[in-house]
Amino acid sequence: MGRAFLIGIAAGIFAAGFAFADSPSVTAVLSNSETAVGETVELQIKVTGPGDPQAPEQIPAEGLEIYRTGEDASSEIKFGAGGMQVTRSVTYTYTVLPKSAGRFTIPPQTIRVGNNSLPTPELTLNVADAPGRSSGARPSRGTQSQSVRASDLVFAELVVPKKTAFVGEIVPVQIRMGFDPRVRPRLIEPPEITGQGFTAQKLQEGGQNSETINGRPYDVVTYKTAIAAARAGKFEVGPVKARAQLLVPRARSAPRPRSRSPFDLFDLNDPFSDPFFSNPFAQMGERRDVEIKSEPVALEVKPLPPNAPPSFSGAIGNLTMTTDAKPNSVQVGDPITVTTAISGRGNFDRVNAPVVEDERGWHKYPPSSKFKQDDEVGISGTKTFETVLSPNEKKQSLPLLAFSYFDPVKEQYVTLHSETIPITVQGGTAATQNIATTQPGSPTPAIGTRPASAAQSTAKAQDILYQLTERPRTAESFAPIYTHRVFWGAQGIPLLALVGFAVWRIRKAGINNRQAQRIAALHHEAAELMHNLRRKDASPREYYAEASRIIRVKTALASASSGIDPNIVDAETAAHTFHLNSDERDRLRRLFEQSDEWQYSGAHNGPGRISQENRREVLELIENLK
Amino acid sequence: MKPSTTWIEISELDANNRAAQPLTFCHRARRSRCTIAAFLATAIVVFLAAPAFAQEDADFAKANQEFAQRHFKEAISDYETLIRNGQWSANVFYDLGNAYFRARDFGRAILNYERALALERHHPEATANLQIARDEAGALELRPSWPERYLQIASVSQYSIAAAVAFWVAAFCLAALVLTRRRSTAMFSLFIVMLLVLAGSIFATWQLERGSKGDALAIVTGKNVQARLATADTANAVLALPPGSEIKVLSTRGDWIYAALPNNLRGWIPAKHAEQVRL
Repeated sequence: MGRAFLIGIAAGIFAAGFAFADSPSVTAVLSNSETAVGETVELQIKVTGPGDPQAPEQIPAEGLEIYRTGEDASSEIKFGAGGMQVTRSVTYTYTVLPKSAGRFTIPPQTIRVGNNSLPTPELTLNVADAPGRSSGARPSRGTQSQSVRASDLVFAELVVPKKTAFVGEIVPVQIRMGFDPRVRPRLIEPPEITGQGFTAQKLQEGGQNSETINGRPYDVVTYKTAIAAARAGKFEVGPVKARAQLLVPRARSAPRPRSRSPFDLFDLNDPFSDPFFSNPFAQMGERRDVEIKSEPVALEVKPLPPNAPPSFSGAIGNLTMTTDAKPNSVQVGDPITVTTAISGRGNFDRVNAPVVEDERGWHKYPPSSKFKQDDEVGISGTKTFETVLSPNEKKQSLPLLAFSYFDPVKEQYVTLHSETIPITVQGGTAATQNIATTQPGSPTPAIGTRPASAAQSTAKAQDILYQLTERPRTAESFAPIYTHRVFWGAQGIPLLALVGFAVWRIRKAGINNRQAQRIAALHHEAAELMHNLRRKDASPREYYAEASRIIRVKTALASASSGIDPNIVDAETAAHTFHLNSDERDRLRRLFEQSDEWQYSGAHNGPGRISQENRREVLELIENLK
Repeated sequence: MKPSTTWIEISELDANNRAAQPLTFCHRARRSRCTIAAFLATAIVVFLAAPAFAQEDADFAKANQEFAQRHFKEAISDYETLIRNGQWSANVFYDLGNAYFRARDFGRAILNYERALALERHHPEATANLQIARDEAGALELRPSWPERYLQIASVSQYSIAAAVAFWVAAFCLAALVLTRRRSTAMFSLFIVMLLVLAGSIFATWQLERGSKGDALAIVTGKNVQARLATADTANAVLALPPGSEIKVLSTRGDWIYAALPNNLRGWIPAKHAEQVRL
């Protein structure tokens, strides 16, 4: 107990002594009050005090771009007369990029610290037109001499394996871009091969590796593509241009001797000898946009030799062809799918389907193609064509297919032929493609029927069918029917029908409901009257009145569908409803007469009570009414 | 014919009847006057429109005559005039396609055959000539997706009508199920089937409208057209498009069209080198 008390006292003393040193405060300072267009300066806002401060991500200022680029928090504990004091401070670092020359003001910024809002002081920045020339009266201090040459940190290289090529020949090209590992590059614009007279394919990233070049380590990124010259002549391929953002040492305002970087073993004027890199907490680096450019490469482009074969479509490379056809047994007019695969290395965008050497007796449909590339840039792969051929007559084999390409190594045209593929064609004479005949009144002759003999004798191209001379009175429309107003207007008819149907059903349900209520009431009344009839103390007047009433109610219930009112039911109606025989009919009639008699002639004209026999007779009559 | 019938009805009424039923008589008299007015209005419209029809028929005949005389440029001009005047019909587009074919402009020939088929799916002459024109031009076709291939058994309009019918039958079934005490299984089954038909028809409409033959179908009409990776003549080529090749317009930026191309490719082509099938 005593020990706990002592600990409590100590904690109280500690809590009393433990206090934040000062009330919150904010300072803001520029690393340099003068700079040039495009040269960045650093703005630091330091917040001291308890709580988590909230500083803006960017500061709007005319002529300046100010973005937050860093944040550093620290705490300091002091023991003094007032006890232990904790000083917490957060330093926000902003990069200020001047967009134009002039004198600019960075307006006060409100920093929230806990429940307090603290303003920063207003700051002024003089921006010169160009580096080294201040917009103000201050003389240049030679900042340019201290700036880091970013070109030392990156390089680009264009690798073209061939010095000569033919027009249209695909030449693989490699682009190598090296970055000093410490510049943390961010590519803004991917590399692009400039130059005229050739087309380049889409750039593909080939990989990344580390290399040491001239004693300096580089991260080298390789891109692959292919170019094809559009005309003959001597070209310069490139240069390759790209833009990247690099982290480079910040330019300082005053010269200062600097120590050699540990990376700069051979005193190669390594920009990383800058103290920024030896003190990573100084946050003095800046991101700078750098254009990376390679040297151009010369390429001599020769024209293709003359006398290209007829099946040459511009394909250049080293290619092979395989052919297959399915089915092998067809009827005349049936389609046969001929699949041709052209594989190898070359300009596949110019590889067209093989031509049918002899189309006589065949109808050829346009081919479809599919390309499967084996490398990143599409120089190597297999292009597959599917051509549908339809025999117009009996044939024993498929027509030969021919495909020509230019071999740049042998410097000559090569024509590949498909193997003879035997097929079986059954059926009659040649089927005609265009079976139309001249229409009466047609202004042009019909070009319809193509006799088999004609088809055999010549491979003349097919001709189109005749003109049509009839024209509908009303113009047609391309718009689908659901866009027409008439279509939506017509929906009103079923809508009205639906509404009518619903109203009818609801009304019918209401009527049925009333009918059911009425029937239920009649049943209830009938049950009650039967109960009364079985009582022995009823007077003859009451008894007969209730007996006749129950017969009326039963009659009304029996003819519920016709909705007869029980008040208007008489003996004849009841007898008719229940199909009574003559005896029962007489008894019923007597009962109604007696009821009327008791009702209208008074109680004194008869006995005071009803005999047991009469009661049984009446009950029996009523119960038999079914 | 309607007015004479009305007069016969009136003449059959005797004087007493007319006196006993003055309202009916007045109503019938007014109706007969309305009918006569409608008849006269129709006659006037027909009378005024007849010369226009006659003029268009004459223009069409003249275009056909030019074609017969192998004056294809004049025939093209005449057919185009008819089309500009809104006289769209499958036969006019088909004839225009023939004229372009004869003028060796296969791209526009194919475009107009496609338009004829867009107006009339089963136009045998347009189908045959389209195939011939494609053979001549080596035009590339868009490959329809597999649902589209199966759904092409009917047109968008037919699917729309099927959807409308299914919707209303389903609505009636639902009303009957809600408003009737006895809920039959057959009625419920019909309701479910109609909902499925409705969903299927809507899907088919949507699929066909955005498919290879849908609203965005366009035909390459220029020669030596290259689809490119970017909106610049110097950009890398994606595919060479022979005239008459089908493309599907995905978006337009200035004078360039971004389109889905045959062989599942995409690229930019100059807008002036392609025309949409649907006007």
